[in-house]
Amino acid sequence: MKTKQLTTGAILAALALALSYVEGMFPPPVPLPGVKLGLANIVTLFALYTLGAPSALAILLVRVLLGAMFAGNASALIFSLLGGFSAMLAMVALRRWEKLSVYGVSVGGAAAHNCGQVAAAMLTLGSAAPAAYLPPLLVAAVFSGALTGFVCSLLLRRKVF
Amino acid sequence: MNKSPDGKPNKYDALVVLVVLALAAALGARVWFAPKSPAAELVVSVGNTECERIPFDDTEREYTNNGYTVHLAVTPDGAWVDHADCPTQDCVRTGVISRPGQSIVCLPARIVIAVEGAEESGWDAIAG
Repeated sequence: MKTKQLTTGAILAALALALSYVEGMFPPPVPLPGVKLGLANIVTLFALYTLGAPSALAILLVRVLLGAMFAGNASALIFSLLGGFSAMLAMVALRRWEKLSVYGVSVGGAAAHNCGQVAAAMLTLGSAAPAAYLPPLLVAAVFSGALTGFVCSLLLRRKVF
Repeated sequence: MNKSPDGKPNKYDALVVLVVLALAAALGARVWFAPKSPAAELVVSVGNTECERIPFDDTEREYTNNGYTVHLAVTPDGAWVDHADCPTQDCVRTGVISRPGQSIVCLPARIVIAVEGAEESGWDAIAG
C-alpha cells in the first residue's frame, strides 16, 4: 500500500511538472496579466482527494522546486511557492466542508493561488501596486477553478488510481 | 476517497464562487469607480526605489532595469507600456491606466508604474 502510494505520488508529480511546462509553452488564454489555466492544479487537487493532504503537499513541493530548477528561474520560486501553498491551504480547509464538491474546492484553491501570487509580487517589489491586479485575477480564478474542478471530477469518477 | 456527495457542482460550490466574485468586486470597485483626478500623477519605481513622478501630459519614457527595457507612453487621458522586451509581456497586456489605484507592473524588470491621486491611495496606506 505504501509503495503504491509512493509510486502514484511520483507519477503525479511528474505529470504535474509536465502539465506546468506544457502550459508555459502556450500564450495565456485571455490577455490579462498573470492569468493561467493552472493545469498542474488538476494534479494537486486529484492527489488531495485520492492520496490525502500530506502526499498532495509533497507532490506540490516536488513540482514547484523541480519546475524552478528546470526553468533556471529561482526568482519565480517565491511566486510558485506562495501561490501553491495558499492554494493547498485553501483546498485542504474547503475539503473539510463535506457539502462542497470538487468544483467549490477547486475554485477556492484557484482564488487562493492568485492571492498568493499577488502577495509574492507585493513582497518582491516592496509595493502594494500589484494588488490592483487581484480583482480580474479572482474573476479568472472562477473560470480556471471550474475547469480544473471539472477535469478532476472526471478523473475521480473513473477512479484511475 | 471522495468525500463530496457527488461530482456535480451544487449550491454550496455556487456560494464559494459568490464569495470570490464579491471579493473581486469589493477590491475592484474602489479603483473602477475612482474619479479621474486632475491632480493624479504617475509614480514610477524601478528596482524597489521610487525614481520619478510624471504628470499626465503627452510624454514618453524609457526605463531599463534587470536587463530589460520598458517603454512608457503618457497622454492626458492615460498611460500605458507600448513595448517592452521582457519575456512575460504582462506590462504591455495591462493596457491603459488612468485612475488612482491602477498600476502597471513589470516583474522581470522590477518596474512599477502606479497612478496616485491627490489623496493618499488606500493600498499605500495598507502597505505603509
